[in-house]
Amino acid sequence: MSQSTITAVAGPPGSGKTTWIRQQLAAETAPVLYFCPGSGNVPIDQTCIAAEFSQIKTLTDGEESLLAKHLENGVSAYIELGFHLQLTTLENLLQAFPSRRISVVPPEIKDTEWHQWGDVIVEGIAVSGEVDKLSIWRSPASGQVLDPASLDLFWYEEMTQGAYGKVHRAKGIFDIADGRSFYFDFAAKFQETAHEELQIPRWLEGRPQRFSGIEIVGENLDKTALGQTLEDCCLSEAVMLNYQQQVKESLLLGEEETS
Amino acid sequence: MKIAVISCIHGNYEALNAVLSDIDEQQADKIFCLGDLVGYGPNPHAVVQMIRSLDIPTCIGCWDEDIVEGLNSCECSYPSALAEKRGKLAHEWTNNQIFPETREYLATLPHSLREDNMCFVHGSPHSNHEYLLPTMDAFSALERVFSAGADVLFCGHTHVPYVRTLDAGNMQVRVSGPSIEGDKNLSFNAPLKRIVNVGSVGEPRHGRPNATYVIYDVDAQQVTLREVEYDYQATCAAIIEKGLPPIFAWRLARGLEYAERADDPTHVCER
Repeated sequence: MSQSTITAVAGPPGSGKTTWIRQQLAAETAPVLYFCPGSGNVPIDQTCIAAEFSQIKTLTDGEESLLAKHLENGVSAYIELGFHLQLTTLENLLQAFPSRRISVVPPEIKDTEWHQWGDVIVEGIAVSGEVDKLSIWRSPASGQVLDPASLDLFWYEEMTQGAYGKVHRAKGIFDIADGRSFYFDFAAKFQETAHEELQIPRWLEGRPQRFSGIEIVGENLDKTALGQTLEDCCLSEAVMLNYQQQVKESLLLGEEETS
Repeated sequence: MKIAVISCIHGNYEALNAVLSDIDEQQADKIFCLGDLVGYGPNPHAVVQMIRSLDIPTCIGCWDEDIVEGLNSCECSYPSALAEKRGKLAHEWTNNQIFPETREYLATLPHSLREDNMCFVHGSPHSNHEYLLPTMDAFSALERVFSAGADVLFCGHTHVPYVRTLDAGNMQVRVSGPSIEGDKNLSFNAPLKRIVNVGSVGEPRHGRPNATYVIYDVDAQQVTLREVEYDYQATCAAIIEKGLPPIFAWRLARGLEYAERADDPTHVCER
């Protein structure tokens, strides 16, 4: 049995930790797992990675015991440390297994704790905001289906433009009315949002039984208004079921026409 | 003669005052108002009082109608679930604030106003919910002006001002149907027509908070779109102070409307 290795990755929000890990995962041939401690009930990166890499095992908070078991069985792990966690969080684990510490740090900052902590410094992308002023707002949205027009308004016209506080970084996974699930990723430094459809089946049978949610890093966030607006973007049960019925009929019609 | 045409004040008393001062400076002889005196904004009653005290001829807007009749728009009049939630919240707030005499006044407002060859409506001659967008196809746009029986049609509702000239030309229409023997061909000359959207005094959506309205020189047939700066921060403060959602203030300060504009120009609410 080969010996497992832990690759622990840390850095400021938006510096490109997850992007770097995804690049490594794409090149992995042996079984590996991904864990992002402190994500709570909003495992956005885990969900994206699970959708993108079917061979990668992902763990969520509460599954730490499984992590040790996998490591003991020789499975290597990528562990992402959010900026809000102490860098010492993983110390026991990193000492118990062979490990390497990667700091993904923007080029414009020097001599930080990440520089001290990392065995390897990877030049990340520029970030906005001072880390000690930032706070995180997270909200699960599992079971909710969003109206696309409302989501566009909330995300592009309001949230990323500062209607609920100064947003530096935002990520979200949302189920929308046609049954698809989308990943949204915003970085203030570039003033742009990337979004992509997750490669998972459409959910057209009632409330989706899979994860969706949002995570925002910023300053002076109006968390109450954010929560209320997100709730207001969600479709009622009746409207959601009506949409699902229409999409199912439309897909069926499309299949008949092509057959 | 110069006329001023204002629309979509939406309870924004600060903006209305600034526009009335500007109209005064422009020395307009008469003011027409295209409705939506109330809805979203923090001072619906003060706006109505001002319009009434100046005896400004006013037609009914969709929001005025909603306050009179109760909110029972069909779902498709909202462009999104979020807009619908905000619209209903704003309606409930306004409905609770409005004085009985204000509601009674709104109930007296006509759907359209006429003066010489000019017609004044809130949305379109067909419905005060219909958006006459500048991108509407020329035939439909011409039909709307024709149906008003006017040469110049003034409208609001979109919150973005524009002037559209529909050139003179010959129109041919063929009508067929079960009750018509053979096809009926109609041909007539269409003179030059204009649609003038006057924008919004109290809830602009052109990317700046400034109020917009129109001055029309009847003799020279000249349209001037006016953009007026006002103390929008006072309105924003009143929105928050009176318990309306802070997002309304944030949007107003950026010229984004309090909610958002429905994007189906052909929609006519059936109710």
